[in-house]
Amino acid sequence: MDTITSVKGISSFSKLEKSQGHSLKEKHNTPLSQMKEIIKGSSKADNLQNVHCHDVLIIGGGLTGLRASLQASNAGINVAVVTKVHPLRSHSVAAQGGMNASLGNVQGEGGSTDSWEAHAYDTVKGSDYLADQDAVARMCREAPATVIELEHMGTVWSRLKNGKIAQRPFGGAGFPRTCYAADRTGHNILHTLYEQVTWRNIPVYEEFFVTSLVHDSGRCIGCTAIEIMTGNVHGFVAKAVLMATGGFGRIFNKSTNALINTGDGQALALMAGVQLKDMEFVQFHPTTLHGTNILISEAARGEGGIIVNKDGKRFMERYAPNSLDLAPRDVVARAMIQEISKGNAYDGGYFHLDLRHLGAKLIMERLPGIRQIAMDFAGVDPIKDLIPVQPGQHYSMGGIDVDINGATSLLGLYAAGECACISVHGANRLGGNSLLETVVFGRLTADKIIEDISNIPKPDSRPVQSAMQKIDARINQILKKDNGKHLFSLRDDMVQTMFDKFGIFRDSKTMKEGLLEIKNMQNEISHVSIDNKDRAVNQALIRFFELEFMLHLAEAVGISALKREESRGSHTRADYPLRDDNRFLKHSIVSFHNGKVEISYKPVKLGMFKPKERVY
Amino acid sequence: MKLKVYRYNKKLDSPHYTTFKFRPKPGMTILEALFQIQKQFDDSLAFHYSCRGAVCGTCAMLINKVPRLACRTQLMPLLKGELKINLISYHTIEETNVPWDPEEEILIEPLPHLPVIKDLIVDMSTFFKYYKFIEPVFKPANPAPEKERLIEPNALTELELYTNCILCAACFGACPVDGKNPEYLGPAALAKLYRFHIDPRESNGSERLELANIPNGWWACEFYGNCTRVCPKGVPPTIGIAKARKEIGNKVKSQED
Repeated sequence: MDTITSVKGISSFSKLEKSQGHSLKEKHNTPLSQMKEIIKGSSKADNLQNVHCHDVLIIGGGLTGLRASLQASNAGINVAVVTKVHPLRSHSVAAQGGMNASLGNVQGEGGSTDSWEAHAYDTVKGSDYLADQDAVARMCREAPATVIELEHMGTVWSRLKNGKIAQRPFGGAGFPRTCYAADRTGHNILHTLYEQVTWRNIPVYEEFFVTSLVHDSGRCIGCTAIEIMTGNVHGFVAKAVLMATGGFGRIFNKSTNALINTGDGQALALMAGVQLKDMEFVQFHPTTLHGTNILISEAARGEGGIIVNKDGKRFMERYAPNSLDLAPRDVVARAMIQEISKGNAYDGGYFHLDLRHLGAKLIMERLPGIRQIAMDFAGVDPIKDLIPVQPGQHYSMGGIDVDINGATSLLGLYAAGECACISVHGANRLGGNSLLETVVFGRLTADKIIEDISNIPKPDSRPVQSAMQKIDARINQILKKDNGKHLFSLRDDMVQTMFDKFGIFRDSKTMKEGLLEIKNMQNEISHVSIDNKDRAVNQALIRFFELEFMLHLAEAVGISALKREESRGSHTRADYPLRDDNRFLKHSIVSFHNGKVEISYKPVKLGMFKPKERVY
Repeated sequence: MKLKVYRYNKKLDSPHYTTFKFRPKPGMTILEALFQIQKQFDDSLAFHYSCRGAVCGTCAMLINKVPRLACRTQLMPLLKGELKINLISYHTIEETNVPWDPEEEILIEPLPHLPVIKDLIVDMSTFFKYYKFIEPVFKPANPAPEKERLIEPNALTELELYTNCILCAACFGACPVDGKNPEYLGPAALAKLYRFHIDPRESNGSERLELANIPNGWWACEFYGNCTRVCPKGVPPTIGIAKARKEIGNKVKSQED
């Protein structure tokens, strides 16, 4: 796309003709009842009529949201899910590698057996000691039961010869601990949970974009949302709201994330006065497909794949002599950047991932999905070709600040999964722990909500209605604007700034420049206009709201990174190359007051494992 | 190169096509091209997207008269005729009389057999209604043991063929039977039913198969095979349907004996 400038008017696209098609008309011979469904509420008077009441409202339809909704439904709670895409299109579906659990189905070196404590140790060490150890212990203890629970719901896991769930090695782990379903683990689990949700008839508001959280007398009592297909504003009233909206990877250029991962949940919470935690810790995955940055799972290295530079040489022995290519992601990604700076990468800054020695049988059995991705998107077949890979943004360790039960500082608001920072990943997440976190804390946070809401009376719906009026007026205001700055070019600028100025290596000077640029963009967005003036199916309008959200998160990441004057986990400062436990063994907290971002700190919960130097 | 795109906005006009001319870069996909149009020319162009990596099933549409995922379909090979999939034709394709030159243009239309909401976005509720009809939920044979239920690794080979389905509805759009009979459950729902039927952990007996033992279920398939040809994940619904029919037939036979 480099050849095409994003400024309107000098596009290489041009409109040639508009031809009437008589064909396809049968598409519109839709039963009247269905069409009514589609066009309902298109008049302005109807815009504000839609108020929905539930005891528990879950925002987000990925693994966390669906698992939580099952828990609430099983407890007889009136629960609903609001999601901006159909649940099966959630980013969870793209998770490839697997889910860590110390099942002990595969023995470690010397016949040793895995334990939850060993899992917790690897996780805390991987986190560069920034994870809260009580949360880590909870997750690791719950892990085996979580994998088994999914199996009992029907998830198809890959199996060992003896019929038990198979496990494979992953980066930073002392045991073959990662349970997997070939390289489609997220797909298999998401479909299983969706099946269960469908079976229970849990209401799902699909393609609803949440625009604000509503609070009243110090409690979160619901939210407002745009029904994307009609453009109508809806209000949701609930005793408790759970944020389960996933990561914010799309604030960066070169991301493995789905295009929908714009961090809406984190931004909504921040705007509602809730703190974000550890936002500077952004994971860069070493092996994303060169060009498109589609993920090439760590499972590829878990199964024995190696990364080679332009001379065909393996280089990880110089950076992680023991773990080699299976060192944690931050270690491998940094090694790649160092190789690039030494001129050892291919032009364009990429390397080769070599799987050829694994053989066709293993690749087809255990890595069929990434083989397909390599063929579809890079035109190479890993059975006989090398895969071009480069580091790319992959995961947000930081997120909404929650306690060990998933509760935020705002009563009635909870968060879990990637959008939350319960702090099980600290400064660097190990592969196989994110799927685990989603399902464990989806369930446990729902348990806490079920407990908490028993004594709460039904909230007043009037504050939600007045919030709906505000959003409705806001939409009109956005649509009225003409001849402003171009929405999409602003977004392009932001993702470029974030990757260039807040990437794998950071320093004070470039980050300060980056923050200024982000600040300017925040001003510019008020001058943005969109051409599409329709309310219904206005994707540009939704992207406008997303971009507003993302610019807040960009600033939160930027300020947190600038203030953390040390290198820890994924956060690498060229000007502060060492970890500094004296000053920075603590969580960064970002809050938003009167339009200003403020930063503070709070202690890390230590426990079983004393901080020491990470060696791999 | 030209991209000829189906447009429909119920408020404004009847369906029509807009043609965009541009220089594609090597490797460019249909989804990227649609984003470029939205970005640089017309921000009202509507289409579904999510993962852009061919795993979420959001962006199935009719590309050169074949239902495909826009995110994994590249422009250049299409023009060169390299991505040809020969389908048994059906009326949605046959009756389209929009002028279209496959050597110069790529034709992009919404998925057939589902009502269009706007441009390339279709209403999937019928598709998911049929998905729900077949009771797509695991029904185990025995109460849950403390640990996992065991499965022979060999039993996974066939099972995985069907669990790979991403419910993109490409098969539904390519099915000539769905085109003429809107009540037919369609390949995806039947493949999903078959997935549960062959799951070794499921309850024995063939109660599951009975769910689709209706005129618009197993028996409506006419084995055109379009579903299998277009599936981006290699799911073979027709094989499952044929096996299900045989099993039901055998059961009836053994009852008669």
